Amino acid sequence: MTQQIRYGDFQRRCDVEQEQISYNRLTPVVKTDNSGKIIPHIHPPIVLRPLDVYRLLKNYTSPRFMDQFRSVVPLAIYLVLFQIFILRELITDSWVITGGLLLVIVGLMLFMEGLRLGLMPFGEIIGNTLPRKSTLPVVLVIAFLLGVGVTFAEPAIGALKAVGSIIQVEKAPVLYALLNDWSMALVLVVGGGVGLAAILGTLRFLYAWSLKPLIYYSVIPGLMLSAAALMHPEVSKVLGLAWDCGGVTTGPVTVPLVLSLGIGIAASAGKGDNPMSGFGIVTLASVFPVIGVISLGFVVAFTTTPAEIIAAAKLAASAASAAPAWYEESPGLDAVLGVRAILPLVLFLFLVLRVVLKEPIRNGGMLTYGIILAIAGMITFNIGLTYGLAKLGSQSGSLVPAAFMKINEVAQSPLYAYGIGLTLAVLFAWFLGFGATLAEPALNALGDTVQNLTNGVFKKSLLMYAVSFGVAFGIAIGLLKLILDLPIFWMLLPGYVLALVLTYFSTEEFVNIAWDSAGVTTGPITVPLVLAMGLGFGNVTGVIEGFGILTMASVCPIISVMMTGLWVRYRASQQSNESLSSSLETAAL
Amino acid sequence: MKQRNITILTDLAMITCIVQRGNGDRIVASARDAGAQGATIYYARGSGVRERLGMLGVTVEVEKEVVQIIVSNDQLDTVFNSVYLAGNFDTPGMGFMYVVPLAKAATYIPQEVLAKFRQ
Repeated sequence: MTQQIRYGDFQRRCDVEQEQISYNRLTPVVKTDNSGKIIPHIHPPIVLRPLDVYRLLKNYTSPRFMDQFRSVVPLAIYLVLFQIFILRELITDSWVITGGLLLVIVGLMLFMEGLRLGLMPFGEIIGNTLPRKSTLPVVLVIAFLLGVGVTFAEPAIGALKAVGSIIQVEKAPVLYALLNDWSMALVLVVGGGVGLAAILGTLRFLYAWSLKPLIYYSVIPGLMLSAAALMHPEVSKVLGLAWDCGGVTTGPVTVPLVLSLGIGIAASAGKGDNPMSGFGIVTLASVFPVIGVISLGFVVAFTTTPAEIIAAAKLAASAASAAPAWYEESPGLDAVLGVRAILPLVLFLFLVLRVVLKEPIRNGGMLTYGIILAIAGMITFNIGLTYGLAKLGSQSGSLVPAAFMKINEVAQSPLYAYGIGLTLAVLFAWFLGFGATLAEPALNALGDTVQNLTNGVFKKSLLMYAVSFGVAFGIAIGLLKLILDLPIFWMLLPGYVLALVLTYFSTEEFVNIAWDSAGVTTGPITVPLVLAMGLGFGNVTGVIEGFGILTMASVCPIISVMMTGLWVRYRASQQSNESLSSSLETAAL
Repeated sequence: MKQRNITILTDLAMITCIVQRGNGDRIVASARDAGAQGATIYYARGSGVRERLGMLGVTVEVEKEVVQIIVSNDQLDTVFNSVYLAGNFDTPGMGFMYVVPLAKAATYIPQEVLAKFRQ
């Protein structure tokens, strides 16, 4: 006698216990009142098992953690390996640095999630409703104020302020004053520059302006102002800081918030069809602050004398020898800075929404959660920055010169012959720039956008490599500038002139992509690391200031991307010529 | 000219899973391991359980991925179980899945496979 069993039934028995329940028995019976209307059913809250809580939390946190982990850890490993194998020097305070790096990862994770849930919804609602409810001047004023607000919230700005204390007041009084007594004014000026960029960017959205003239009219005055600053012995030392500020401003807060506002405005004006109009704001936001900071340098130089600044700094130093209050010391200071970065921005967005637009706040719980997360993330990030990234960066920066010159910390320095050591140091910087840029998540996103916009002509990987090569050369050149103490002006002048010439010959698309890629690459991890490294480096080699690396890291990708763009277009035209001539030949045969 | 002919496939079912955005790849991988050929993913929004989770509601993404997997009736249970376990569907907020029978379907079938059936 044979028995037949369906294979599926057999498998079901072997695999997993299954039971069947009729869904009818799970759905609630809805009650009706006397007049026959349905009484709304209230779903009871779900009771979770601990396993469920674990699964939910794991599913939520692990991808977000890994995103940041992937961009921080390879860099840290590279720095550590370089220090151990090439410089033969162990990492001091390695546990503190590891803890700091962990805090950076967690902080960035919290901050990005908070930004997405707490701040971005504001930006979108305001961008969508603002142009419908108010006039263009009001829109522009709000765009300007938003630009100032986001600059305060940018994580990398904190790093800029932190490095001010390292500069020796006697060597560069004006620079010292800018980063200490005038630091509030400095951030305001940078914010003003970003605000102005937001206004111009919005107008560009509305009237579909070409980016090229905007670049000419902002970069050329910037260069001319730099040339003027060169005449003044004190202000000329500010140039490195000024051009570095441009790269710092365009980070993970500014770009999405300002963009969401601009896109909302363009969409409600019915002119959001140009896919390229999303670009450009980033470019302008990295050029205007330069002009602002140089001007501020002039103001400081003309209102105070170097002697006054030095005297004031000495006074402050002697006063500071008394125990500082908890909020003037890390980690209390980091916490205060974190709250001060986010709260004004949130308050401003809230006021715009309630007072100007009179819109109700929807989903308040979620927004509050997002804002708390953003603040917590900012504080954690700041603490991690102080103890992790900045510490590691300045340590490597101060040790790398041991490869080619005598420094006190390293016993057998110089470790290598001058030429070899110098090459090693420059190669170190090159690979650091290459790796850091390739790991930057913003570049990945830009690559996707560019590939879509150019219909695959400009491949994502091609763009990523072009930008990374640019940044790598930029950082290497910047390091050379620090070693040989070259004047920054004579490095950025040829760079920007070449960029302007290439801009003239390139198509509008590639101009947009190239100038934006520079701003995108300098994110919250690269900036503090490179700044701290440059400053540590500068301290050891005895130059006045360690700025300028970021400047070169912004110019070089512009050039490399535009050159790649020209090459891609040349190749495409050659190929179409070839196919045309070959088809002609076959036709003739 | 040779007449083109159409091969119709029968005995199929479609498994549809609605999961949080970002989890779809895991579903597809488990379905492929269990023998499914491929899957289609599209994006959607939806909520329900999220509001009933209290504080933990923030961990559930409103954006969803809808994964559709076409399987033969014989492999249906294997794939269904595999996907269920990989997607942790026994945890609230992780999603919903269902199966519908398909009347007929057609797609590319390799020539040598067709030849085997024609013999």
